[in-house]
Amino acid sequence: MELLRDTNFDFMKYRKFWIVVSLLLVGVGVFMIFVHGKLNIGVDFAGGTRVTLQFKDKPDLDRLRSVLTSVGFGDSEIQRYGKVDENEVMIRTRLVKGKSDGTRDAVVGALDKEFTAGQVAGRPDLNRIGADSVAGLLFAADPDQRKTQGEEAAAAHYKEVAKSLLAKRREIGLFAAWADVSGIAGVSQQVASTLEKSCALGVYTVTGVENVGPQIGKELRNQGFWAVILSLFGMLVYIWVRFELRFGVGAIMACIHDVLVTLGLFALFGYEFNLTTIAAFLTLIGYSVNDTVVIFDRIRENMRKNRRKPLIDTMNESINQTLSRTLLTGGSTLLALACLFYFGSDVIRGFSFVMLVGILVGTYSSIYVASPFALLWEQYIGAKAKERRAAADQAQPVRR
Amino acid sequence: MKRNVLWRGILILSILAISVAFAWPLDKKINLGLDLQGGMHLVLQVHTEDALRAEVDGDMGLLLQQAKKSELAGLGGKRISDTSFEITGVTAETRDKVAELYDKYLKGAWDANLSVDRGVYTMKPQYATQTRQMAVSQAKQTIWNRIDQFGVGEMVVQEASDNRIIIQLPGVDDPERVRNLIQSTAFLEFRIVRGGPFPTREAALASYGNQVPPELEILAQDERDKVDATKILQTVYWAVDRARTVTGRDLKNARPSRGQLSEPIVEFSLNAEGAEKFSDLTGSNIGKPLAIVLDGKIVSAPRINARIRDQGIIEGGFTEDSAKDLSTVLRSGALPASISYLEERTVGPSLGRDSIEKGILAGLIGTALVVLYMLVIYNLSGLNAVLALALNIVILFGGLAAFNATLTLPGIAGVILTIGMAVDANVLVFERIREELHAGRTVRSSIELGFEKALSSIVDGNLTTLIAAAFLFQFGTGPIKGFAVTLTIGLLASMFTAVFVSHWIFDLVLSRFRIQKLSI
Repeated sequence: MELLRDTNFDFMKYRKFWIVVSLLLVGVGVFMIFVHGKLNIGVDFAGGTRVTLQFKDKPDLDRLRSVLTSVGFGDSEIQRYGKVDENEVMIRTRLVKGKSDGTRDAVVGALDKEFTAGQVAGRPDLNRIGADSVAGLLFAADPDQRKTQGEEAAAAHYKEVAKSLLAKRREIGLFAAWADVSGIAGVSQQVASTLEKSCALGVYTVTGVENVGPQIGKELRNQGFWAVILSLFGMLVYIWVRFELRFGVGAIMACIHDVLVTLGLFALFGYEFNLTTIAAFLTLIGYSVNDTVVIFDRIRENMRKNRRKPLIDTMNESINQTLSRTLLTGGSTLLALACLFYFGSDVIRGFSFVMLVGILVGTYSSIYVASPFALLWEQYIGAKAKERRAAADQAQPVRR
Repeated sequence: MKRNVLWRGILILSILAISVAFAWPLDKKINLGLDLQGGMHLVLQVHTEDALRAEVDGDMGLLLQQAKKSELAGLGGKRISDTSFEITGVTAETRDKVAELYDKYLKGAWDANLSVDRGVYTMKPQYATQTRQMAVSQAKQTIWNRIDQFGVGEMVVQEASDNRIIIQLPGVDDPERVRNLIQSTAFLEFRIVRGGPFPTREAALASYGNQVPPELEILAQDERDKVDATKILQTVYWAVDRARTVTGRDLKNARPSRGQLSEPIVEFSLNAEGAEKFSDLTGSNIGKPLAIVLDGKIVSAPRINARIRDQGIIEGGFTEDSAKDLSTVLRSGALPASISYLEERTVGPSLGRDSIEKGILAGLIGTALVVLYMLVIYNLSGLNAVLALALNIVILFGGLAAFNATLTLPGIAGVILTIGMAVDANVLVFERIREELHAGRTVRSSIELGFEKALSSIVDGNLTTLIAAAFLFQFGTGPIKGFAVTLTIGLLASMFTAVFVSHWIFDLVLSRFRIQKLSI
């Protein structure tokens, strides 16, 4: 199947219009980031704590909020997370001034007090304790009566039992009822009933914690910032070396355009901006320049073939020639990324959003931002330089 | 041409074989990052000022003690900063002797400024640095000893700049317990009780006429319920000696055990020197309670019935786990300085597992779609691209295994991205080939020209993404480094497969069949 052979669209004809459109998009993007909605800055950069919990039953967000308010975290962000039937909740608390430790202990402590009130005190929580605690507990009680075979054999046996138990817990998140425990392979009825007698089943479990103190937050902000700036600079230098300055400028303009527009949409959809997002943006910059380079490469080749042709026509010709390639590659990468966006886990969704949008915008900008800007540069700065030289020559004729 | 094809083919097959050898079986050979296998990543700050202050107090105490032995009266000492202290009450008579003592005991590490009535002693900079350094290494070792038992996979405890320690524990089931274990200072002391029990601190003070004698201090004890050790029944106060002769440093061993009522307790034994001191202490205080103090709080205060030499028990509201943890902490020794958590990232195992499954699903579907895409657009030549892609993926995983790189969640995204971008090079070449065919050239020369002309575009384009990946590697943290590595290896492999392998496949086909029209 052949696509678009011998096209001859005059891309550059409406370039002024498209530059305006681009500027508008950038403007909207910047507006989104700084004025409306604002960027949802993650714990990585803002500091603070982000705790994800999995509840046995549907969590009552209001109850959670009142618990948190009682320990001074009333302004935390609490929201449902992930699949509905998995009952996960995400709690985000801000940095507390003066404390470098983060708020995780306070949050978990308050939740513990609230949700374990009804339980029989003193029992370990089977949804929290680790493998060796379980093994130790079982070894002491010896429900399978292995101690007759020797202490070492018994210890080894209960270690295995504990392993199976925890593997199951890892799989389903937390034990919702004692029935979940007795059904596990390798766990005998006696073990299950011993556990039921001596342990409790917590109502929730902590599935993830991100706790970033102010120092680290500052350091990560710096790192992220410099990574992006140096990257852009690196690209500029690279293209300047391989092509010419005017093309370098065009490519960087396209990059900046892509980043700002994507960032704006990112803010609009409320994705969390963290380190992984910066990684996505850097990749985006790489890809955008990649795309632009392919077109510039063709322009350069055509310029060599036909030195007299005006730049604008060469650009048109080159873009037409590379059009099918641009669309096809963009297409395949988009397919792969769309799968990542749709099927991938929540954690990576923000990342794939950036890449997805970025590629669409990047392809557009390689045509309608990079080349026109290079053209503009040429016309105003490159051409002006030529004019000045021509004027100087006229004023002072070359002596022979 | 035929021999050329053969040699190239052998090269390609060997690379394939090597990659498979490195990467198979997949789940054993590839390192999974913490965000995929679950685990904890902690960055701790060691508060080295604590260690410095301990040195100041220690050496100041030494100087004063020696002064007392030399019968110099009227001297007092005060710490004035983290690295300096002041000796007051120096007179004309005592001055020389003080200088002499300084020469004998402190000269190596301290700078002296002895004036008419006082001496100010400041730690030498290199000694201060050394002390800080040692505090961090000691803390690192202590922490390692404490958490060694918990990690399922490879545990990392390493020093980092700015007096920090980085800890990575894969596969932890009970992160909270680990955090507490790491942080406890667990400073154990044995002190003789001189008065009490008092129901409140005020009552304790009142019994001394509101003026506690300098050699005593009031400490609290939380009496716990025997059944539910987390429940505190009441708090009582005791007046104990300030002086501590036997401390946690004198322990030889500590282990969890069971007491008379089968409640969890900690059994400890003392080393030779400690046993001497303990024997003296208990022998001369029979009948009085002995306070076992942990981090400034009394755990229990049993009566001394007879001289005890080198063994004892600590009881007082332990759970199975807390007895075990205390034993571990006592065995590992006290932390030389306090620590606080600068950063913590814990990923529960179910979250990690979820990420892997979804990542694999996305990868498989993505690959399938891309394959379909290439076949539809480029017909049989698309098959060429598909084979190159397959080889690309195998080399990618082989490379990850060979470099012992860690696969993280962004890394999986990197793999999927590589799959999408890998065909880019193929597209560039195939489009060029189509162009040349269109211009009327033969199949063979179109292929040659296609590869030749597209090469610079491929290199330039991928180079920019590689530059971006290099920056990411430099500035990124764990998961992002993983992404940078995957992307880099993936792109390099894709350049190899698209240029070398695809070319070879075309040549192989051409050398065996007569192709009039290229299916592209």
